[in-house]
Amino acid sequence: MYIFLILAIPFVASGLSLLIRKKTSLLNFIAIIASALELIFAILIVLAVLKSGSYSWGHDFSVDYLGSIVLLTLAATGFPIALYSVGYLKAEMAKGIIDFKKIKQYFILFHLFILAMFFAITTTSSILMWIGIEATTLSTAFLIGFYNKPSAMEAAWKYLIINSLGLLFAFFGTLLFLYPALNGGHTELITWSNLLASGPNLDPFIAKMAFIFVLIGYGTKVGFVPMHTWRPDAYSKTPVPVVALFSGSLLNVAFLAILRFKLVIDSAVGKDFSQDLLVFFGLISIVVAAFSIFAQKNYKRLLAYSSIEHAGIMALGFGFGGVGAFAALLHMVYHALAKSMLFLAAGNIFLKYSSTKMKNVRGVMSTLPVTGAIFILGFLAVTGVPPFGIFVTELSILSAGIGSHPIVTMAALLGIGLVFIGFLRHVIAMMFGEADSEITAGEGSVWLVAPIVLLAVALLISGFVFPGAIKFLISSATLVY
Amino acid sequence: MFIESPQTLFFLEALIFASVIFINIAKKNSFAVFLYMAQSFVVAFLLFNSSLKESSFTLMLVALSVFAVKVIVAPYFFRNLINKHQLKFSVSTYLNGPMTLVILAMLTAFTFSSFFQPLSILSQENFNALLLALSTMLISVFVIINRKGALSQMIGILSLENAIVSFAFLSGLEQNAGPQLGIVFDILVWVIIATVFASMIYKQFGSLDVSMMKNLKEE
Repeated sequence: MYIFLILAIPFVASGLSLLIRKKTSLLNFIAIIASALELIFAILIVLAVLKSGSYSWGHDFSVDYLGSIVLLTLAATGFPIALYSVGYLKAEMAKGIIDFKKIKQYFILFHLFILAMFFAITTTSSILMWIGIEATTLSTAFLIGFYNKPSAMEAAWKYLIINSLGLLFAFFGTLLFLYPALNGGHTELITWSNLLASGPNLDPFIAKMAFIFVLIGYGTKVGFVPMHTWRPDAYSKTPVPVVALFSGSLLNVAFLAILRFKLVIDSAVGKDFSQDLLVFFGLISIVVAAFSIFAQKNYKRLLAYSSIEHAGIMALGFGFGGVGAFAALLHMVYHALAKSMLFLAAGNIFLKYSSTKMKNVRGVMSTLPVTGAIFILGFLAVTGVPPFGIFVTELSILSAGIGSHPIVTMAALLGIGLVFIGFLRHVIAMMFGEADSEITAGEGSVWLVAPIVLLAVALLISGFVFPGAIKFLISSATLVY
Repeated sequence: MFIESPQTLFFLEALIFASVIFINIAKKNSFAVFLYMAQSFVVAFLLFNSSLKESSFTLMLVALSVFAVKVIVAPYFFRNLINKHQLKFSVSTYLNGPMTLVILAMLTAFTFSSFFQPLSILSQENFNALLLALSTMLISVFVIINRKGALSQMIGILSLENAIVSFAFLSGLEQNAGPQLGIVFDILVWVIIATVFASMIYKQFGSLDVSMMKNLKEE
């Protein structure tokens, strides 16, 4: 029943938003209540999973250990992002950038986006999961082109075409994975369990071909290099709260799809094939992102490349397996918190400076002291500086790989080091120095500050005290990887 | 009454293959749309034939939905786009005609090479048609890469989807009707969104030539 509710809430919220006329406060109210309820039901689902290993609704929907981590991460970042959306859109409306019609469009699509992700996480069918992830593309395309500018249109078109192409590859790979189950006489919806059971009957060539298509397809959504090109463009043009969801949640949902198929291919041809591919995509993502971060001129694109780097780190962790897989899943949680916080802080900087170019942003610490401090905190967290959790997860991933893949591990370490140096250079330039005299000092409304403070507190606390229950979920989810 | 013979299925798949070849070399947008419509008609026909063979009402519903979305709705949207913005010609490609044909020949030769022999496990009797479907997939991807027009890119995406559906049909990888209807619905929404975007792109850039979009390069 909780699964039904967690799917029904964003659906109803989207429908109600569609019906509202002229009252922005009602749209805000619906968004806040819906995201709060989603968080509550996500927690209830996680508790149920902790109790009995999985939680199902009928034959077609179920949440297991792995799904519960992704679900909780989505709901936990979704709530502060919804709160922030209220303040962000209000500030943009006050500036005359958007009107009520745009805010309404934003919330309708925002809820549909959340719904598509919940659907993809909770379904037991690989085909339905594909439909859910494809629906995320369709629901967010208009959010990327939200500001109706030529550059936004260009980014949206690029996003639509590249992701649609990628997802068609994923669809083809998914179909190839189905053939032993279909030959086995399954006439109803084929579940992940059916796929796993029929995995050993997969022809090795077809299994490898299928996994390559799935990895390239969903890897496009994750943002692995070289399928990442849509990501910096889309991130730089999309409203900040949606970008926070892209980076903190959509990446995880697409990664979940890859991990589910990884188990199937592993049962067909052993772990080496999928692990080698993940290590390959992981390493090139880290290296390319590291050099790109160094050369960035736009801070939203900088954060986009940082997400690509972290997707690479997670891929490396799952590629190395064992402790690396545990650390990679934990990394997914920390990254979602840290990157959502960073993007929202970047939103405050954008509202103050009206520019995403780093050369136009100086003296953030004096004009936006809280946002600036949180941005620095986020920078330290995502670059893997102690005492933040990402330091531990990166160290664990690299330790897991040093024995079996020493050269890859060293290259990844150099890449991570380069990211730190590149990021530091940009952060120092933006945070300190003299702000333009036209920029007045002072934070925005409480809606713009409270969500990032909330995420910062969660990130700090989780670096020191990580709940045992979550650790149990992560270790149970990654036992098979 | 039903079409089951491998020769007939190969012939129908060859029609789909021929349509994507001509999409690659079509000079007029309206001709490319017509080719997509013809290709979709063959796919819908294959599904309809299958529904009769299986005596399945839900499968027939899927076939009719495919027909409605791909043969009627999508071409209607595309024609409106062409008429609204007078996009009669779409000759812009990155590679010239002869080079395009060379690439198409190479892609087809690659799919018929020994590399894909293991796919015969999916369907021994329709193996050649299966390889043709794979060629259609690769050539559809080439349409998206080689042609500069946004409309051509949309047709390339949809043609790729048709190729995958025909591959699934020939190899017996069809899922039950529920997910198939979901996929058709997704395609419908995709067509609407992509057409709206193409129209917005025309308003912003005065053209559907994607090589004119250079705003993001400045960053």
